[in-house]
Amino acid sequence: MSDAVLPRPWTALAKPALWTLAFCGLAVVGTALGGKVIAQQIASGLMLGAIYLTVAVAFTLTIGVLNFLNFTIPTMFMLAGMMAWGLNAAGLFAFAGKLGWLVALVVGIACSILASLVVERFTYRYQRTRHGDATEHAIPLVSSLGFLLIFEHLVLVAFGSEAQRFPVPFKADLQLFGIVIGLPQLVSLLMALAIVAVLTAVLRRTRMGRALRTIAENPDTASLLGVDVGRVVPVVFVLSGLLAGLAGALFTVNYGEVSPFMGENVGSKAIAAMVLGGLGSIWGAIAGGLVVGLTETLSIHFFGGDSVQMSVWGLLLVIIIVRPQGLFGRPSVGKGKM
Amino acid sequence: MSGYASGIVAILCINLIFAYAIFICATAGQLNLGGAGFQAIGAYGAAYLSASLFQPVWVTVPAAMALGGLVGFLISFPVLRTRGVYMVLATYAFGEVVAGYFLKSTIFGGATGIVVPDHLDVAPLIVAAVLVTLFMFALMATRFGLTLRSIHDDEPVAAIMGINVRATQVACFTIGGALAGLSGALYAHHFSFVEAQYFNSLLSIYVLLFVLIGGTQTAWGPLAGTLFFTLLPELLRVGGSWRFIVFGVAIVAMMALRPEGIVTRALVARIAARLRRPFGGPIRGARHAG
Amino acid sequence: MPGNDLLVLDRLQKRFGGLTVIGDVGFAVEAGSRVALIGPNGAGKTTLFNLISGVYPLDDGSITLAGERIDALPVRSRVRAGLSRSFQNIRLMPHLSVVENVMLGQHVQASSLLGLAMPIGWMPGNRWRRMAEARLAEAGIDVDPDAEVSGLPYGIRKKIEVVRALMSRPRVLMLDEPAAGLNPRETAELSAFLKGIASDGLTLLVVEHDMAFVHDLCTRTVVLNFGRLIYDGPTAGVQDNPDVREAYLGTRRVAGREAGHAA
Repeated sequence: MSDAVLPRPWTALAKPALWTLAFCGLAVVGTALGGKVIAQQIASGLMLGAIYLTVAVAFTLTIGVLNFLNFTIPTMFMLAGMMAWGLNAAGLFAFAGKLGWLVALVVGIACSILASLVVERFTYRYQRTRHGDATEHAIPLVSSLGFLLIFEHLVLVAFGSEAQRFPVPFKADLQLFGIVIGLPQLVSLLMALAIVAVLTAVLRRTRMGRALRTIAENPDTASLLGVDVGRVVPVVFVLSGLLAGLAGALFTVNYGEVSPFMGENVGSKAIAAMVLGGLGSIWGAIAGGLVVGLTETLSIHFFGGDSVQMSVWGLLLVIIIVRPQGLFGRPSVGKGKM
Repeated sequence: MSGYASGIVAILCINLIFAYAIFICATAGQLNLGGAGFQAIGAYGAAYLSASLFQPVWVTVPAAMALGGLVGFLISFPVLRTRGVYMVLATYAFGEVVAGYFLKSTIFGGATGIVVPDHLDVAPLIVAAVLVTLFMFALMATRFGLTLRSIHDDEPVAAIMGINVRATQVACFTIGGALAGLSGALYAHHFSFVEAQYFNSLLSIYVLLFVLIGGTQTAWGPLAGTLFFTLLPELLRVGGSWRFIVFGVAIVAMMALRPEGIVTRALVARIAARLRRPFGGPIRGARHAG
Repeated sequence: MPGNDLLVLDRLQKRFGGLTVIGDVGFAVEAGSRVALIGPNGAGKTTLFNLISGVYPLDDGSITLAGERIDALPVRSRVRAGLSRSFQNIRLMPHLSVVENVMLGQHVQASSLLGLAMPIGWMPGNRWRRMAEARLAEAGIDVDPDAEVSGLPYGIRKKIEVVRALMSRPRVLMLDEPAAGLNPRETAELSAFLKGIASDGLTLLVVEHDMAFVHDLCTRTVVLNFGRLIYDGPTAGVQDNPDVREAYLGTRRVAGREAGHAA
């Protein structure tokens, strides 16, 4: 059942292709009905979805491989932006001249990865205890909630609670058939898709990918088969830290602003996107991210800003109950033991 | 009692009742990460009855309990179709939907909140907390309590023992909803003000942490967890962000060192045996060890 | 004598995916009899238990207990109908004490609303608790009733599971490898204990690999191989049956040739 993390080539391509077609159709219908205003909303929704889907893939990776709902991922997202801003403001990257902001973001992402490894060390590595009851799967989850508090408040202590401007030296908008698309947003969408494509290839073709899929199947069997679980598990955390950090960096570039709370909203939406796509499914997280982004902008457009929370989470609640495997997930992930 | 101390005692009582609401689901193996939603329903129910319909406290508080219980009963049917991580997510989504609804609704004051006219002092809060605590201890000592714990340990085998697992879990959500509703009503009447922003997902997370860190095996767990997390920062005399960092470190350390929570059944049994035989007589648990 | 059949399995079928795990198995168990269910690994014995107790739904066939169809009942109602079972890998509740595990077995007698609301934890003199402790003593389990089960030796936990299954006062008791992992003395004690209970009219259906135990306890034996019934008759005749020999040893041809020579 390796199609959780890794769908078979044909089905893997068919579903996202259908979804892309559906989106295009939606865009065309939207434009026909509502004209440029709706088309603009759809475009912004998809761009917003690019950020969500990157974080959602980070979530889905840890759930799919380790059956672990890692609540620190939104913090990794925030850390990349805040660390980049903090270190840049301290003048550490003056040597890089005009490219200081880029160096700062790369260092920010590195901080996310490092923090993710710290989480691995203390949540996952020590928690191999199995007392085999219903709340067992909650142990790493609760531990990650602890880390959520630690990281968020350490950042508050270090940098304060204010939102800060992050200096991005360019601001360029693209005009496509009269629709305004932010260049950084378009770049993020393409980058996110590229990274996920590379990730899928890695999972499919490399030894490491095979090891990860074996662990996803059953950690005990994996170690019996000679997979060094203790060395492979950190890779999952590096990847999820990288994805969350990258999303944070792209977000920072897009909005030119960072804050210690920037992860909360995006994190919630990413969880929604993951559930929508199905736990453990990478392509599902991508489609889910785009759907959530669209739902958000259209919901704001039609029902006003305060309706977002209800529509996104209401949709999610219905999906969990009616179709818990999401759009692409396999039913067995995340159900705990039988 | 100084205002500062009475404030702490009030929030302690409210959190304790709230923790028992989540605890009763957790003892039967159901993790509820939408506690704030149930509490918000109780708080807004009581606030609305009090502010808009001018009902006295002895009507609003039981009504809020009944409303919470009803919502718990109704939501349990869809939620119990899910398990594991999905249940965590489903209840989380429920909490978000409720908070989103109150934030948006005009009859409940939207983002500005509701001012609650009738004020409850600390004393009735203490009485309520003591009663709920006694009730939970009694409940855990009944056969129903045994049933809950067996579902927590092994659901399929519990069914083979003849237990109606689904009905028991529905009962848990109903009782839990009622207790969360009660805690919300007490909150509304004590602080005389209700706003949607208070009932956010962080509150749900905290109360679940109180329960899991305290321990889900005995009724001592929520008591220990709530006391620990309410008093720890006071004892350490740290404020602001450092208080949360201490929380976080305590949580990570607990999960690494003692994932069953502070109070386990073994611990309670050991203390009880010590108390029963204060003069160092033989302890019963040692019999088969020889 | 069909009128005396307590448990009747008729043409049971179970497939997992494309694999037929139980194909067309049918036999009846007389009231008060002691029947062994044996077969090589993977023959479908535990699956058959799971079908009877309702853990898996049937694909085809019917299960009748005392004249009533039970195959559509949920798991919990089959216990009330009079079925009780133990498990191959011990499934005691790890966080409950010895006596609490045994009291769990009383659930079907005590699960009225009043029964559920009665305190059982506080009073040592509680009726249900006394009953459970008496049963434990009868079975020769001499451990602290308040000890947590997870720390106890394997043999004792195995026996506690049998006692727990007995507490629902079943008509048919199904034991899945009760003697596995027990030493010879414990095995003999268990056999004597089970014979004692069976003499009160309890019907036993036992999956077991220990043939000495089976010979001692059960008068009749049913043999499964690859999900099919290959032998049903007196325990004494099992070892001489060519089908059974083939299933276990793969020596049909040799046995057949020998038989041919003898004829």
